[in-house]
Amino acid sequence: MRAWSDLSPRKRSRIIRWCVYAITLAGIVALALLIDWPSIRRVFFDPDIARQQFPEVITQAAKNTLIFTAFGFVIAFGVGLLLAVMRLSDIAVYRGAALVWIEIFRGLPALVTISLIGFGLPIALGQQFPGTYTTGSIAVGVVGSAYIAETVRAGIEAVPRGQMEAARSLGMSYGRAMVTVVIPQALRIVIPPLTNEFVLLLKDTSLLSVLGVTASNKELLKFARDDAVATFNSTPYVVAGLVYLAITVPLTFLARRLESGGANRSSSAGPGRLRVLFRSLDPRGGSSDA
Amino acid sequence: MALRRVLWMLALLAAIAALAVSCGDDDDDNGDSGSTAEFTTISDGDLTVCTDAPYEPFEFEGADGEFTGFDMELMRAIATNLNLDLAVTVQPFDGIWLAPEAGTCDLVASAMTITDERSDAALFSDPYFDANQSLLVKAEDAEELSSLGALDGKTIGVQSGTTGESYANENKPDGAQVKSFDGGDALFPALVSGSVDAVLQDFPVNRERASQDDQFVVTAEFETGEQYGVATKKDNTALMDAINSQLAALRDDGTYDTIFDEFFPSENS
Repeated sequence: MRAWSDLSPRKRSRIIRWCVYAITLAGIVALALLIDWPSIRRVFFDPDIARQQFPEVITQAAKNTLIFTAFGFVIAFGVGLLLAVMRLSDIAVYRGAALVWIEIFRGLPALVTISLIGFGLPIALGQQFPGTYTTGSIAVGVVGSAYIAETVRAGIEAVPRGQMEAARSLGMSYGRAMVTVVIPQALRIVIPPLTNEFVLLLKDTSLLSVLGVTASNKELLKFARDDAVATFNSTPYVVAGLVYLAITVPLTFLARRLESGGANRSSSAGPGRLRVLFRSLDPRGGSSDA
Repeated sequence: MALRRVLWMLALLAAIAALAVSCGDDDDDNGDSGSTAEFTTISDGDLTVCTDAPYEPFEFEGADGEFTGFDMELMRAIATNLNLDLAVTVQPFDGIWLAPEAGTCDLVASAMTITDERSDAALFSDPYFDANQSLLVKAEDAEELSSLGALDGKTIGVQSGTTGESYANENKPDGAQVKSFDGGDALFPALVSGSVDAVLQDFPVNRERASQDDQFVVTAEFETGEQYGVATKKDNTALMDAINSQLAALRDDGTYDTIFDEFFPSENS
């Protein structure tokens, strides 16, 4: 038998690779042998219980999750955009206020923010928010706003300085140049990361049941949990998980596509990141070769 | 030869895997047969109990950081008599009766009403406590919201998976809305914040809160004949026999009454 050091590097790396395969395979086989398959099937994949989930898991639970997400995202985006502009302001008070908001809500666990807004704010104001979806949407919106603010700020900073300078030299005010020239370009840049923020916000809605749910505003996870308790079975979690994935995977896929579309072209085309992104968003030119 | 090396490694891995599998089996056998005691616990020397705390006065963290309350002290007394230490695991209430099946704990003791539906999935002890349902409202609403019928158009707060939730859904006026919360502790801030107008849950818990906190009042009690039991997994009759005989012994020797008086001082006077 030859010594290990006598082998060519290529041969060595091949042996190592086969060892890794073998170890992984042995691990999988060991796991497969150790797992109690019948009870897994019974607890997680009961076809009758899975069937019972429909159509309510879509018509009620997923619908409510999407309503919370949509309202929450509108709030998060609006507040986030404002915060991003404030962060880049020349006025120190605006910058400071935005920074405090962002640091607080990025630093707090989402569950804490949701509890504070859901229980604390109405006690402090002496007033409940009207509407079934309002409190929950505000809560996830506030959480999302802190992250979106930082994303949009990065986008604004990525717009070449020349854009602002050119707009100002045409006689636009700072505010007008920001709104009509810089921000539209910044938003195009941040569409992929914003898609990810949307997915994160959607997942945060699963925490909203701590604020209490009525029959009409149960979101996906709470719906699954109630059914899991009623049936003594975890199949509803699996169904809800699949519904979450059915919503989030296409979105993250889209985000990745937008991202890589941008990267491919910036290496070939040259005229800056912006045109690239314009084009990647264009259905004809964007992804025909992807 | 490289190939030989790889084969060697594969063989070794297979041997390790086989060993691991067989070791696992051995452990299972020991656990199931139980060599000395007539029942076994998931953690040697401990009686591990699942509970949904805080739920005063049944289970809550005392000033010393130890779990106390009527359920907890009762379980501690039983554990002591069985030469075990009490270990407490906190779990959300909905579905808690399935925790022993999942191997999280030996026993569930969580102010849990014995129902037919739950008895299908878990093995319950003899009843150890009688509890009714009740309505808790803000002091300023006490006059107006004195019965379930008065809650038309209002929101009733309940805890998910409790008998209070079922009772509210079955008996509420048509115009009332039921709002379910994951934790019993969230019901009180929800009542203060106006998220709900009344809390419907076990009488002893509402009364305890009202006695500590004068912004709340219990305005109605509903006779439901509910009884609490502790639960374990369906096939663990050995443990449940021991628990039941201990419960009887504690009632006989007066320990039950001592613990009862500690947490429900008004009732026996």
